Amino acid sequence: MLSKSQARTFFLVGTLLFSVLFLFLTIDTVRQVPAQTRAKNITPAVARGKHLWDQNNCMGCHTLLGEGAYYAPELTKVYERRGAAWMDVFLKDPQAMFPGQRKMVKYKFSDQDRQDLIAFFKWIGEMDLNGFPPRPSRDLNAGLPAQVTPPAPPSTRADVPAPRPTTQPSSQAATRVGAAPQVAAAPAMPVKFQQLCVACHMLGGKGGRVGPALDGVGKKYNVTSLRKWLEDPQGVKPGTAMPKLPFTAQELDQMVAFLLAQK
Amino acid sequence: MKFKSQKVAYWFFAACMLLLTLQLTYGFIMAFAHMGLDGLHDYIPFNAARATHTNLLVVWLLTGFMGATHFIIPEEADRELHSVPLAYLQLVSLLVVGVVAIIGFHLNWWEGRKFLEIPRPLDYLVVVNVLLFIYNIGMTVWNGKRFTTTGIVLFMGLFSAALLYLPGMIYFTNHTFDSYFRWWVVHLWVEGVWELIMGAILAYLLIKLTGVDREVIEKWLYVIVGLTFLSGILGTGHHYYYIGTPRYWLWIGGLFSALEPLAFLGMALFAVAMYRRSGRQHPNKISLYWTVGCAIMAFVGAGFLGFAHTLPQVNMYTHGTLVTAMHGHLAFWGAYAMIVLAIITYSMPLMTGRKLWNNMPGLLAFWTSNIGMVGMTGAFAVAGIAQVYLERKLGLDFMVVQKEIEVHFFGLTLAATLFSVGITLFIYNFIKHGLPRDEMVGDQSLDAEWVEPHQAQTVSAAPAPEKSTPKTGKKAKA
Ligand code: HEM
Ligand code: HEM
Ligand SMILES: [Fe+2]
Repeated sequence: MLSKSQARTFFLVGTLLFSVLFLFLTIDTVRQVPAQTRAKNITPAVARGKHLWDQNNCMGCHTLLGEGAYYAPELTKVYERRGAAWMDVFLKDPQAMFPGQRKMVKYKFSDQDRQDLIAFFKWIGEMDLNGFPPRPSRDLNAGLPAQVTPPAPPSTRADVPAPRPTTQPSSQAATRVGAAPQVAAAPAMPVKFQQLCVACHMLGGKGGRVGPALDGVGKKYNVTSLRKWLEDPQGVKPGTAMPKLPFTAQELDQMVAFLLAQK
Repeated sequence: MKFKSQKVAYWFFAACMLLLTLQLTYGFIMAFAHMGLDGLHDYIPFNAARATHTNLLVVWLLTGFMGATHFIIPEEADRELHSVPLAYLQLVSLLVVGVVAIIGFHLNWWEGRKFLEIPRPLDYLVVVNVLLFIYNIGMTVWNGKRFTTTGIVLFMGLFSAALLYLPGMIYFTNHTFDSYFRWWVVHLWVEGVWELIMGAILAYLLIKLTGVDREVIEKWLYVIVGLTFLSGILGTGHHYYYIGTPRYWLWIGGLFSALEPLAFLGMALFAVAMYRRSGRQHPNKISLYWTVGCAIMAFVGAGFLGFAHTLPQVNMYTHGTLVTAMHGHLAFWGAYAMIVLAIITYSMPLMTGRKLWNNMPGLLAFWTSNIGMVGMTGAFAVAGIAQVYLERKLGLDFMVVQKEIEVHFFGLTLAATLFSVGITLFIYNFIKHGLPRDEMVGDQSLDAEWVEPHQAQTVSAAPAPEKSTPKTGKKAKA
C-alpha cells in the first residue's frame, strides 16, 4: 500500500503543480478583466464611489456581484432598475423612501458623494458577469396567464383617497392585466413618474410591486384629494409605505394631471 | 502536560470562550433584525453587527488555533516554547487589536470588504502580531528535539495563513480585482491552509485519543492535505463565476470545487476508522466525541452543503442568498469551531488536573450545541431556498421576499437558543476546570493511564477529584 513518503510526494507535487496552474490562470485573468469589466469607464467618480462603498461597509447589508450580506437588496443592476434620479432621492434619506420598512443607515452623503455612488453602480451594472444575475424564469412582472388573474378590484368611491398601502404582492400583481393601459391618453407621462414612481408602482404592467398598481387611479381621486396625498402621504394615511417625494410645484401639477387621466 | 510552557494555551482558550460569547450575542442581534426587530439600528446597524459577528468568529478561531499550537508544538518538538513572555505579549496585543477593531466597526471605521473589514492601519498590527507568533513557534520547532509530520503540517498551515493575509491588503480601484484577491484570503484560508491546521490538530488528537500508530495517522494526514490543495486551489474558481472574470472559471471552478468534498470525506472516514481501530479507550470520551464529530460535521457542512451550491448552474441562483449563510454556518462550525472545542476539551484536564470528562454538562454541551447548529442550518436552508425561488425564479422584489421568509428567522432564533445553551454549558465546564497548575507539569499520567493501564499509582499532587468524576480515573505519577 501507499507509504508515508509516497503520500508526502503526492502532497508536495500536487500542491506545487496546482499552485503554478493557479498563478498562470491568475495572470491570464488579470489580462482579461479590464476588457470584461469595461475598466476604461472607471472615471475618478467611479473610483470615489467605490471608495465610499468600502468606507461605509455597504457590503455589510447588501450584496454586489452577489457578494456581501443578505439583509438588503442585491445592487448589481440597481442603476438599471431604479435610475439615477430615484437613487439620488433615495440616498438623501433612505428611510423616507420606505417608511416603516427595514431601515438603511442615513448617511450624510454630499451631492457629490451621491453622484459618485451612482456612477459606481452604473459602471458595475455594465460589466460582463457571465450571465449573473439570472433572469427570473417566471418573471411575475412579465405577466401571468390571464385566467389565473383575478380582475382588478372595482373602485367605487371616487372621493375617498384609499390607495391600499399593502405589502402583499399578489393583489397588486393581479390588477395589472385586467386594466387596459391608458398611457397614451391626454397628458404625457412626466419624467419624474418614470424616474421615481415606477420603482414601486405598476402602470400598464411595468413597474414595482411595493405600492398598488396605478392603472385606473384617476377613478379613485379628485384633484384635491390626490394633491393632498402626494404632498403628505403620512398625513393622510399614517404608517403608509408611500414616501413624500421631492416634487416642485410644477412637477406636482403635472403629476396630478397625469394620474387623474388614468381612468 | 509535559512542559510548563504549554500552560499558555489556557489563556488563549479562555480568550476564545469570551470572544465566542460575544459573537453569539451579535448573531442574535442580526437574527432579530431579520425579523423586523431592529430597535438597535441607531447604535448597532446591521452591517456593524455582521462585521462584529464574523470578525469575532475569525479572531476566536485563530486564537484557538494559536492556543492549540502552543499546546501541541512543545510536545511535538519535545522542548519548552521558545519564549513564554512573547506568547503572552502576542495574545494581549491580538486582543487589543481585536477590541479596537470592534469598537471601530460601531463608529463606521472599517474597510468594508466582507470578512476583511478590519481597517487598514490595524491590518499592519495584525501582521506584526502574527509575525511574533510565527517567530515564537518557528524558533520552537527549529530548535526542537524532533520534527514530526503533525508539527510541520501545523506550522506550515499557520505560516501560509499568515502569508495569504497579504493579498487582501492590496488596494484596487477595479472592484473585480478587489474581489479576486480578497478570495485569496477568504477561500484559500478556509478551503486551503486552515485545513492543514485542522488536519494537524485532528491527527494530533487521534494519535493521543486512539493510540493508533503515529506513522499510519500521519500518512493519511499527507493524503488528506494533498487532496485539499489538489482541489482547493483551483476550486477558488467557484468564487470567480460571476464577478467579471473570464468564463473559463465556470468549468475550472466547478470541476475542482466539486472535488473539494473529497478531502473532508477523507477526514471523516479517517477519523471514524481510527476511532474503530483504537483497541483501548482513552478516558476523555468527550474529547473523542468532539474530535470525531468535527470530522463528520465538517464533511456535512463544508463538503456536502458546499457541494450543494458549488456547480455554476446552481450557484447562478444561490449566489449571494441565505443559502450561502446556511453553508457558512455549518462549515465553520463543523470544521473549525469543533476542532478548537475538541482540543480544549482534550487539553483542559491535562493542564488543570481536573478530570471533568464524561460529566453531564460536557455531554449535554456536545449534543445541544450540535443539534442547535443543525437546526440553525435547517432554518437558513428553508429561508434560503424560499428566497432563491421567490426572488431569483419568480422575480419578486427583494424586500417583498424578505417579509415572506421572516418566520424562518424565528425558527433560527429558537435553534440558536438551543445552540447557545450548549455553548453556555461548555463554558461552564471550562470555568469549572479552574486554572492550569504547575503540579501538572511533567505529569502525563492522565494520558498515560490508558496506554499503560496496569501502572496504577496514586498521585498526591492531583487535586481532589470532582464529585462528578467517574471512578475509573486512576492516577499515576509520571
Ligand atoms: C471548512 C470549509 C469551508 C468553510 C468554513 C466555508 C465557508 C464559506 C463561507 C463563509 C462562504 C460565504 C463567503 C462569502 O460570500 O463571502 C462560503 C461560500 C461558498 N462556499 Fe464554502 N466553506 C467551506 C468549504 C466549502 C467547500 C468544500 C465547498 C464546495 C464543495 C464550498 C462551496 C462554497 C461556494 C460555492 C460558496 C459561494 C456561495 C455564493 O456564491 O454565494 N465551501 N463558504
Ligand atoms: C447564536 C447563534 C447565531 C446566530 C443567531 C447567527 C445568525 C447569523 C446571521 C443572522 C447572519 C447574517 C446573515 C445575513 O447576512 O443576513 C450570520 C452570519 C454569519 N454567521 Fe452566524 N449566527 C450564530 C452563530 C454563528 C456561529 C456559531 C458561527 C460559526 C461557527 C457563525 C458563522 C457565521 C458566518 C460565517 C456568517 C457569514 C455568512 C455568509 O456571509 O454567508 N454564526 N449569522
Ligand atoms: Fe470557497
